[in-house]
Amino acid sequence: MKYTIPELTRVEGHGGIDVTLKGNKVEDVKFNIFEGPRFFESMIKGHYYDKIPDITRRICAICTASHSLASIGAIENAFELEPTPQTALLRDLLIHGETIESHALHVFMLALPDYLGYPDAITMASEYPDAVKNALELKKTGNMIHTLLSGREVHGMNERVGGFSTIPREEDLVKLRDSLSRVKPVGELAVELLKNYEPPAYNNSDNLLIAIDPGEKFGFLGDYIITSNGEKIHQSRYKEITNESTVNHSYAKHSLYNGEPFMVGSLPRVILNGEKLENSAKDLFLEHKALLLQSNSISNNLAQALELVHCIERSIQDIDVLLSNGLTQEGIMEVKVFESRGINAVEAPRGTLYHDYTFNDKGEITKANIITPTAQNAANIEKDVKVIAENLVKSEEKKVKEALELMVRAYDPCISCSVHLTHIK
Amino acid sequence: MKPKIGIFSLTGCGGDQLQILNMEDILLDLLSNFDIVDFQEASSRKEEGDIDVAFVEGTVSTEKDLKHLLEIRERSKVLIALGNCATDGCIQAMKNDEDIRERFQEVYGVNPDEFDARPSQPLSEFIKVEYEIPGCPVEKEEVLHGITSLLNGDSPPRYTYPVCVECKLNEYPCVITEKNLPCLGPVVRAGCDARCPGLGLDCIGCRGPIEDQSNYASELLMLKERGYDDDFILNRLKVFSGKLETLTEETK
Repeated sequence: MKYTIPELTRVEGHGGIDVTLKGNKVEDVKFNIFEGPRFFESMIKGHYYDKIPDITRRICAICTASHSLASIGAIENAFELEPTPQTALLRDLLIHGETIESHALHVFMLALPDYLGYPDAITMASEYPDAVKNALELKKTGNMIHTLLSGREVHGMNERVGGFSTIPREEDLVKLRDSLSRVKPVGELAVELLKNYEPPAYNNSDNLLIAIDPGEKFGFLGDYIITSNGEKIHQSRYKEITNESTVNHSYAKHSLYNGEPFMVGSLPRVILNGEKLENSAKDLFLEHKALLLQSNSISNNLAQALELVHCIERSIQDIDVLLSNGLTQEGIMEVKVFESRGINAVEAPRGTLYHDYTFNDKGEITKANIITPTAQNAANIEKDVKVIAENLVKSEEKKVKEALELMVRAYDPCISCSVHLTHIK
Repeated sequence: MKPKIGIFSLTGCGGDQLQILNMEDILLDLLSNFDIVDFQEASSRKEEGDIDVAFVEGTVSTEKDLKHLLEIRERSKVLIALGNCATDGCIQAMKNDEDIRERFQEVYGVNPDEFDARPSQPLSEFIKVEYEIPGCPVEKEEVLHGITSLLNGDSPPRYTYPVCVECKLNEYPCVITEKNLPCLGPVVRAGCDARCPGLGLDCIGCRGPIEDQSNYASELLMLKERGYDDDFILNRLKVFSGKLETLTEETK
């Protein structure tokens, strides 16, 4: 007996699922990757440091700024460059803007059609016109942050190693703040729509959660990685977590921490760092805490909705601080290159992302390692496929397939950016 | 009857489809003009049969991509290459001169006996492409302009002049003469309204070469005179060009 989902839809990139059953037992599961290998780490070899982020950000369109910030951070760590407080604030605003855009797209347009029973958001708009229109408005506001700070919605260029090339004008930040205030209810609407759906019991199983420790406040940047087992590890020791090993079936590398699969993304962040949320995001978190199940990856959608509320509030906060400090045209810091290695982690919308570069004395890259969230989640997704297939072994095929697609989609997988997942015959 | 359109992707970052979804203000109105038979990134709907206009993003990087592309071509009246991967190969074609086995070994730590991968190439290497919309990513306005032109029986716009033209029209200070940056504006296709120079940065060439008119030799010479060495300049020119052989030939 075999279930095959040839191509997952409403996900970024190309992948499918195969489940082989023997009697009531799952014999084999495969999360197949059909995306062609993109060889980014060999692509950037030999390039001078300054344009590395321009290449690596093209790993992914939806999380382009997460890649550029991870890349910039790794380079600055290598050449011992400390960003100014203004640069740090602008970067914080940028990554929150990216998460608004990405989560608005995923929650409303890719995930909600599952819950409400539509093939897509365009069809869903006929019965939920306001929700879809408001979601697009929210998504646009995330893109406005991107465009103002990075230069355009996808693959921008303004955030650089050593600072921002052009600092935004105060009047543009004021306009942005107005737009953010207007869409704040839409973030809350996402929580409202999702709270009615209890994560289905057929997907319950233990999950080890991993996320960046954001420091005092909830956020997406930080130097330490924490786990739901209470461990705390510096980002420079990331290989102890990601621990990639080659597996024998469809793809090359799997991440296992102490031999176990683990989950990264919104759910791990909100469960591990939820107490650090503020304002309405904190209130909503406390109100719906019981629906955020560590043992159920499908709760990731509700965690994304809560993060939407956080991102909107935090972006407003960042703008207020920037405006009250006053903006200075700082220019880009000078970089002195030397033989060195730099590692940096950021929380991309889909989870922890690592960039690790080694440079020669001319500032050219000699070795690179990039580990994306979906590559880390792959082993956990396969674990969940197995759990669902076994729990639903007596159900009709259609129901099993729908449940599998719903679960995979809840991870918001980004298959084109998986870098280390490739299909090998 | 509404025209049937399909939005497809081969290997790439998904950014050109995303630019369509990024037209938030007009998205629902725009798409209501069409019957969308395939849009894997945004919809679970999939319909077989003929398509009036197919948009295809990404490079052909696997045998599966090639098979998919040939199937799309077969069923489409008009096929549009969407974005630089599809028009020129973009960054994915940057190191096509390197052995694919060595790249597997380096990145994945395996040397597979068989693999589906092949050097990344643009669509026109395999099939007839009616129109090209370049850019990494495509400009939203250009896609919209292209779609509305087609709806009205016209062809999408083409840009046959360099980024420098748009830079001058905007009266931006030249980053080559003012800051000595290694700007590729003189040899790169316009249509982006000179975004990078507008932010004080050098153009890195994400819209690709100007339809066989890019004078790489003179760009190389100009940057050499400004103190950049051959390797540095060639590395930079290679990032988005993809057409490496012509490049090295011309710059000799």
